[in-house]
Amino acid sequence: MNFTAAAETLPDDSLTRAQAGDSEAFAELVAAHEAMVFSLAFHFFGQRERAADVAQEVFLQLFRALDTIESQGHLLFWLRQVTSRKCIDELRRKRLRSVSLDDIAEPATPAPDPLLGRELRKLIARLPESQRIVVTLRYQEDLGPEEISHITNIPLNTVKSHLHRALRSLRRSLEES
Amino acid sequence: MNLESQLRAALRHKQPPAGFRESALAATRRQPRLRPAWRAIAAAALLTLLAGGTTARWVEERREGQRAKEQVLTALRITTDKLRDTRETIHEASNH
Repeated sequence: MNFTAAAETLPDDSLTRAQAGDSEAFAELVAAHEAMVFSLAFHFFGQRERAADVAQEVFLQLFRALDTIESQGHLLFWLRQVTSRKCIDELRRKRLRSVSLDDIAEPATPAPDPLLGRELRKLIARLPESQRIVVTLRYQEDLGPEEISHITNIPLNTVKSHLHRALRSLRRSLEES
Repeated sequence: MNLESQLRAALRHKQPPAGFRESALAATRRQPRLRPAWRAIAAAALLTLLAGGTTARWVEERREGQRAKEQVLTALRITTDKLRDTRETIHEASNH
């Protein structure tokens, strides 16, 4: 199970308290998972504002579905799944193709090579949607192909093929640039 | 650093914009959440309404059917009376 640093410090009973209607406990859940949810959407769209909108919709949906969440592990799975689906649905709905380079902001803590990191995020945001979500879940969330297949409902072999193609495409684009 | 390590570094978690959490929580406050017990009560109330509506319609249809049947019987009765009168008139005429 890949918990984020913030999620690891989450009190064990926060989910139960949130389900009982405790708004502070729900705020704890948002605080623990907001970076993961926002980052999935940000790395998918390459746009902070759109990513924030999608992340907000995800937490609103979580609020409505809180009673169906069985555990902290289930919550993490649910958030990854709903965020991934929302990103793809949103893209298909709005037919977002262009990526604003200005919107691809640098992280708060610089990556080992900020220029390369920026270039990579730009290239990822240009991958076909299925490859993009698979790469983001693989390298942002450090998930294996089986977990990605489970979350995205994409067959395992297709996940592996998306990863392979995406890496080949990224490698080629980096060499050309 | 190989490509996979570079991707992990490039795709590290980022914090959402300032004010994100407040905005997300405010959105949930505008959406009252139905507790499971209330959902069950609401579903039961809806079912009762639907069942009540169906029963009322069935009773009304039966009532209309009954009215139609009575109208047909009255029409038959009138026709029978008319036929009897006509037959008697013919019978009287043929006896004279």
